[in-house]
Amino acid sequence: MKKLSLFYLLTTLITLCLLAPACDNGPDDKPDFDRQAMLQHYADNLIRPAFSNLRSQTTALKNTWTTFNAAPDSAGLADLQQRWKSACAAWQYANAYNFGPAGESGLRKGLVEEIGTFPANTVKIEEFIAANDVSLNNFNRDTRGFLAIEYLLFKNADLLFNDAGRRGYLNAIIDHLESRVTEVDDAWAAYSIEFVKADGTDVGSSTALLYNEFVRSFESIKNFKVGLPAGKRPGQTMPEPQLVEGYHSGFSLFFLKQHLEAIEDIYYGRTLTGSDGTGFKEYLDFVVGGPELVASTEAQWQKVITALYAVPVDIPLSELIAQGHPSVDALHTELQKHTRFFKSDMSSLLGIAITFSSGDGD
Amino acid sequence: MSNVEVKTSGLTGTAIQTAAGKVSPWLNQNISIAPLAVFRIVFGLLMLGSTIRFWALGWIEDHYIRSTVQFKYYGFEWVKLLPPAGMYALHVGMILGALGIMLGYRYRLSALLFFLTFTYTELIDLTYYLNHYYFVSLISLLLVFLPANRHFSVDAWRNPGLRSITTPRWTILILQFQLAVVYIFAGLAKINYAWLIEAVPLRIWLPANDTLPLIGSLLKWQYAPWLFSWAGMLYDCTIVFWLSLARTRPWAYAAVIVFHAITGLMFQIGVFPVVMIGATLIFFPAGWHERVLDGIWKLIKIILRGFNPTPNPSPEGEGGLTSNKILIQEERRPLILCLKQSLSLFWKRIKPPSPSGEGMGVGLPRLPTILLTAYLLFQLLFPWRYLLYPGNLFWSEEGYRFSWRVMLMEKAGTAIFYVKDGRTGREGVVNNGDFLCAHQEKQMAMQPDMILQFARFLEKYYTENGVNRPAVRAEVYVTLNAKPSRLLIDPNIDLSKIEDDWKHKDWILPYE
Repeated sequence: MKKLSLFYLLTTLITLCLLAPACDNGPDDKPDFDRQAMLQHYADNLIRPAFSNLRSQTTALKNTWTTFNAAPDSAGLADLQQRWKSACAAWQYANAYNFGPAGESGLRKGLVEEIGTFPANTVKIEEFIAANDVSLNNFNRDTRGFLAIEYLLFKNADLLFNDAGRRGYLNAIIDHLESRVTEVDDAWAAYSIEFVKADGTDVGSSTALLYNEFVRSFESIKNFKVGLPAGKRPGQTMPEPQLVEGYHSGFSLFFLKQHLEAIEDIYYGRTLTGSDGTGFKEYLDFVVGGPELVASTEAQWQKVITALYAVPVDIPLSELIAQGHPSVDALHTELQKHTRFFKSDMSSLLGIAITFSSGDGD
Repeated sequence: MSNVEVKTSGLTGTAIQTAAGKVSPWLNQNISIAPLAVFRIVFGLLMLGSTIRFWALGWIEDHYIRSTVQFKYYGFEWVKLLPPAGMYALHVGMILGALGIMLGYRYRLSALLFFLTFTYTELIDLTYYLNHYYFVSLISLLLVFLPANRHFSVDAWRNPGLRSITTPRWTILILQFQLAVVYIFAGLAKINYAWLIEAVPLRIWLPANDTLPLIGSLLKWQYAPWLFSWAGMLYDCTIVFWLSLARTRPWAYAAVIVFHAITGLMFQIGVFPVVMIGATLIFFPAGWHERVLDGIWKLIKIILRGFNPTPNPSPEGEGGLTSNKILIQEERRPLILCLKQSLSLFWKRIKPPSPSGEGMGVGLPRLPTILLTAYLLFQLLFPWRYLLYPGNLFWSEEGYRFSWRVMLMEKAGTAIFYVKDGRTGREGVVNNGDFLCAHQEKQMAMQPDMILQFARFLEKYYTENGVNRPAVRAEVYVTLNAKPSRLLIDPNIDLSKIEDDWKHKDWILPYE
C-alpha cells in the first residue's frame, strides 16, 4: 500500500508538471505580471539612487563640516545649514527603505531609528557635550542622527564658533551619520541581487518587505510628523509643536512634502528624475479589484496633496500647530482617511504577507 | 391522522431501538488496535515537532512575552498570560506531554498534560486562533479517553496487564468521525457563490504564488482559480468517503498528500498540512498499521543492536512492544474491562460484565455514552450556529470560529480608534501599534468582537492615564474578497459601553 501511494503520488505530480506548461500560453491569457521586473526597477531606479544620493549629500555635509571645523565662521555656518537641509531632504527619499542593509540586525537598529529619530533629546545631548563624551556608546538614538545635528546647527549655533567640545560632539555625530549611510549604500550593491531574486509575496519576500516599510513610512508621517505634534493623541491636552521633525530649523513642512512625494513615487514606481516605471500602482492594475482600488486611492491622494499645499509655507509648521491652524488638522484628517487604501486594501488585493504567524490551513 | 402519527412514531421508535441494538455491538466489537497505536505515535511525534518548531522560531517570545494586550475568548477571560517563565513552562509541558503520547509513557497523564497546556496556551490570545489548533485540542482531549497505550507503548511494556491487541471499534471511529467533521464542514462552507462562481479568494491568492516551483506557472492560468476552488470543495466534501473505501484509498491518500502539499506551499499555514497528512492514516486498514508497527519495531531493534553489540532484548520488552499475537490473544480481556480502563475517569456500569466475556449487547456505560453523545452532537451542531444570526457571515463573523471555515475569504481592515475626553470633549486618535503587534492589529481590524475588546481596553487604559470618562469609537474600513473597503461598524457608537455576548451585534453595519 505504501508503494502504491507513492506511485500514485508521483503520477499525480508528473501530470501536474506536464499540465503546467501546457496551460501557460493560452490565447486568452492576460499577460503575466512580472514581479521580478518590478523589483528590479525599484532596486535600480528608486532605492539605489535614493541611497547613493543620500550618501553624496551626507559626504558633502561632512566635507563642509571639515572646512567649517577648521575655521568656524558665520558664512561657513550658513553653508553647513544649507548642506544639512539638502541631506535631510535626501533622507526623506530613503526613509521607506528601512529593510535589508538598512533594516534591523542584531543590536543595530534600522536606519530610520539610527539616523532619523526625532525629536532630538537636547538635554541628553548637552549632557554628553558637557561630559565630553563623544563615544556614542549608548542606546540614546535621539542624541545622534539628522535631528541631533540640526539641534546643534540651528539652536544657539554661534556657540559652535568658540566651543571645541560642542564641535567635537557634532563631529562625532556627523561621522556616525556618514558612516552608517555609506555602509548601507555599499551593502545595497550586493543586496540588490538578493532583493530581485526574492520575488514571491510571502513574508520574507522583497515585495512584502518593501510594501510593509512603505506603509510604515507613510503611517509615520501621519502619526509622528503631523498627529503627535498637533496633539492628536488621546491623553494629549494640547498641541506639542516642539515634537515636529525639524523644529529648530523650521523646515518641517519642507521635509513633510519631500517625504510624501517619496511615498507617492514609490506607489507609482516613479524615479527621482520623474520617469514612471512599473510600481505598486501597475501591480494593482493587474489584480482582481485593483483598478477600482487605484481609482479610489488616487482620488483620496489628491485630497491629501490639496490639504498639504493648503498649509501656509511662510510660517513654520510648529508655529501653525501652536496656533491651532485648521490646515494642519485638515491635513491630518486626509492622511487618516488615506490609511486604509495603502494599508489593508492594498495588502489584501496583492496577497502580501504582513506577519510571520501561521494562518488558518486547509 | 393522529393515529397515523402515533403509528409512525411507534414504528420509528422501534426502528431506532432495533438499529441501536445492532449498532451498539458493532461499535463495541473488538478490532485491531494497531491503527490507534499508530495514530498515537504519529500525533505525538507531530505535536512534539510542532511545539519545538514554535519554540525555535521564537514565537513564544513574539506571541506571549512581548505582548501588551491579549484578546480573550468569550467565557475564557480568566485565562491569563503567564510570566515568561510560566509561558516556557507551558511549552515544556507540551513537549513532555507530546513525548509521553508518542511513547505511550504514562500515557493518560501525558495526554491530559498536553491537552491542558496546549489548550491553555491557545486560550490566552484570540488573535492566534486557528482551526487546526482547535483540532489539536479536540484530538488530544479525545486521546485522554482512548486506550491508545494498550499496544506498542512503554506503558504496555511495563504493565503486561494493560496489553491488548484489540480495541473497541468506536475508539477508532471517533477519530475518523472527528476528521470527517473537519473535512466535510470545510467543504460545505465552500459551497457558496463567491467561492464556486466568482472563484474568490483564490483569484486573489493564486497569482500571488506564481513563483512556486512546479505549480507556479499553473497558477497563472486564467481558469486555475476555478479549477482549484471546485477541486478544493470536492476534495473537502468527499475525501473521507474515498479514504474509507479500500479500492479508492491509494488514490485518495495520494490526493491528501498532493492537496496538503500544494496548500502548504502556497499559504503560510505552518504544520497543518503535515498534521492532516499524518492524521488521515487512521483510515488505513489494520493490516497496514500492523506492518508499520513491525517496521518501527525492526528499526528499534537495529538501533538497540547498534548501541549494544551483544544483543539481548528482554522478552518482556518484545511482548510489550510487538504484536506478539498469541500471548495477547490469550490475555484478551472482556470488552467491559477494556472500556473500564479506557474510561476509568467517568466509569459507571449499567450492567455487570456478561459472563461470556464478549460484551456484545452490553452497550456503552451510561455516563460515557452521554458524554460521548454530547460531544458528537456538539461537533455536528455547533458549526451551524451562524444560521441563528442575521446578515452576511463572512462580514460579521458571528458564529464563524470553531466551524472549520478555513481559507474561505480574503479579508482585511484598517481600524482607527478615537478616544474622546468626556469633560473637555477633545478627541484623540489612537496609534494601535502602541499596544498591539502587527498580527494582533491585522486580526482585530476585521473582527467585531476583537474591535469591541480593544475599545474596552482603550477605555480602561485612558481612564487610568488621565482621560475623563473616555468614549471610544472606531472607524473600521474592511475589504472582503477584493471588494472596495467599506465601514464595518457604526463609526459613531461608543464601543466602551457595549458588553459582548452571544446576541447579534446590531452595531455591525449590514454588508448589502
